[in-house]
Amino acid sequence: MKLRTILATTSAALALAGAASAETMKIGITQNNVGVDSYQTTYEKAFIAAAEANDAVETVVLDAGGDVARQIAQVEDLIQQEVDAIIIWPTNGEAVIPAVRKAHQAGIAVIVTNSNIAEPGFDFVKSFSGPDNITQGARSAEIMCDKFKEMGVENEAKVVHITGQPGYTTAIERAKGFEDRLPEVCPNVSIVDTQPGDWNREKSQTVMEAFLVKYDDIDGVYAGDDNMGVGALNAAKAAGRDGIIFVGATNFAVGYEAMQAGDYWGSIYQSPVDDAEAALQTAIDVLKGEEVPFLNYFDTPKITQENLDEFSKPVF
Amino acid sequence: MATITRRQVGDALAQQGILIAFAVFMVAFTLANPRFLEVDNVFSVVRSSAILGIMALGVTFVVISGNLDLSVGSMMSFSTIVVLDLHDQIGPLLAIPAMFAMTLCLGALIGFLVGYLRLNSLIVTLGMLSAIHGLTLTYSGGQNMDIADKEGTWFGVFGQGFALGIPVPILIFVALAALLGLVLARTPFGRKVYAVGGNSAAATFSGIRRGRTVFVCYLLSAACVATAGLIQASRSLGSQNTVGQGLELEVLAAVILGGASLMGGSGTIFKTVIGVLILGFIQNGLLLIGLPFYVQFVVTWIIIILAVWLDIAAKRGRLWSPIA
Repeated sequence: MKLRTILATTSAALALAGAASAETMKIGITQNNVGVDSYQTTYEKAFIAAAEANDAVETVVLDAGGDVARQIAQVEDLIQQEVDAIIIWPTNGEAVIPAVRKAHQAGIAVIVTNSNIAEPGFDFVKSFSGPDNITQGARSAEIMCDKFKEMGVENEAKVVHITGQPGYTTAIERAKGFEDRLPEVCPNVSIVDTQPGDWNREKSQTVMEAFLVKYDDIDGVYAGDDNMGVGALNAAKAAGRDGIIFVGATNFAVGYEAMQAGDYWGSIYQSPVDDAEAALQTAIDVLKGEEVPFLNYFDTPKITQENLDEFSKPVF
Repeated sequence: MATITRRQVGDALAQQGILIAFAVFMVAFTLANPRFLEVDNVFSVVRSSAILGIMALGVTFVVISGNLDLSVGSMMSFSTIVVLDLHDQIGPLLAIPAMFAMTLCLGALIGFLVGYLRLNSLIVTLGMLSAIHGLTLTYSGGQNMDIADKEGTWFGVFGQGFALGIPVPILIFVALAALLGLVLARTPFGRKVYAVGGNSAAATFSGIRRGRTVFVCYLLSAACVATAGLIQASRSLGSQNTVGQGLELEVLAAVILGGASLMGGSGTIFKTVIGVLILGFIQNGLLLIGLPFYVQFVVTWIIIILAVWLDIAAKRGRLWSPIA
């Protein structure tokens, strides 16, 4: 009886797969700059793996190498190849809009991944799949506030804020999420200074060194990503300043290790694998005609020293 | 009893205009925030500047010889990533010479192209900026490099260690500056560098081998970059593969700010060091004052222009040029 059920299920699944391959979805992706950092490298691997595991899709994987002109040419190539959907990781949120409009006019579904394009282009896009950076900033504020409450310093704690590169949407959104949320949950905690660390560990370390000279009393550091957070941590360690609570975002392997060592309190777990799989799934759902929200965020949970074991160490 | 004439004072000012500019900024920043001159702060600024500074020492030779080097930022990323990777594979003792050898090969290649083939240094090093960056990304597979066992290695000594109460990067910077300053000012090789940069044709007719001199300048530059990469790697025991990106312009700014001529033939190591310190202390001083970062970009630029102006004005003996 049991064997028969399994057999039946298997054959049903096979039949389904056969039906799907009869009308394969052709999905093209043009990425921002694979190979420049670990996140994007891992994203591409995960995307290809997810596409290969799914018989219903056929993919064309391209990379713009950070070059807007090349990305526009790639979108035009994909239009020529008559793909069903284009996933784009914009090299520049403004400059790619004309190309996106062209794809839209050619009847191709466009999905934006990871970082959104500018608002004038929203009409030509079916869905944005990516992390919600404002929520990430807000969650970092909550992580920090909860820890201050646990330590009993929520009424006097002073925080310095190291942001990503000025002008980057991700940097602006995370900073906004953090700065809006912190006064809501911990109204008496003050942000005493904000400076950019440019997503760069060394720059962040230099900024933190100046903060340590300028302020005798720093209770918390919020950094726009773990790379900068660890840079700030290195500065504090070198200056022999203990007891500072470090919270970052985009948990990197270095941040994860610093949490294991007990030096770094928390971060936001954003997996490039989830990011890539969510983008592919969004494209598939759009092509199947399913209802997909315009801002289709994938979840980026809080990670702290307390729940560290529930997450695997990031590969980047 | 010696009397100091007005002219002598004028000459002294003309010699050290950039030093005066430096002193003016230091006083201004200290008045704005007294902590500026605390030992800890000065150490941390000079330690941060040491990486840029060591690269600038080598580039000073290249610039005086009448050439440019825009590849030093990429090359620094390369040496940092390579030494971190090799550290875990063959141990620090072998990783350091291996990294130096690889970086020197890059320097030799540039030196060959610019020195012996006489290709334009701007084009060659601009090309190498991209090529070496690509090499680093290929080598690292796009990943960041981190030393696995951060507690159990002595490798951190170059970037984090102290000797005689002074951070090691500062000691290395000072030692290299003294050594290269002597080489430039007191050796036949140093004089050849000035001669080649000042008047290439005259130098050639005087029997100076231009190709070889330029080649050695790029080797020196690569050796300085490798040292900077070593300190960088050692300081954080891990690194992004874009760590040196963009530093080439800061290095060049420091060298030119110090008074070396982009046309070649003039400049000294001491003035380059002052240029490096000005850039480092401006950055730190503005942070301590707490200006918003977008204002900092503007103010940094204004200060640099002011410094260059003070330097020129001191040389002329008046604030504006009589023949402008």
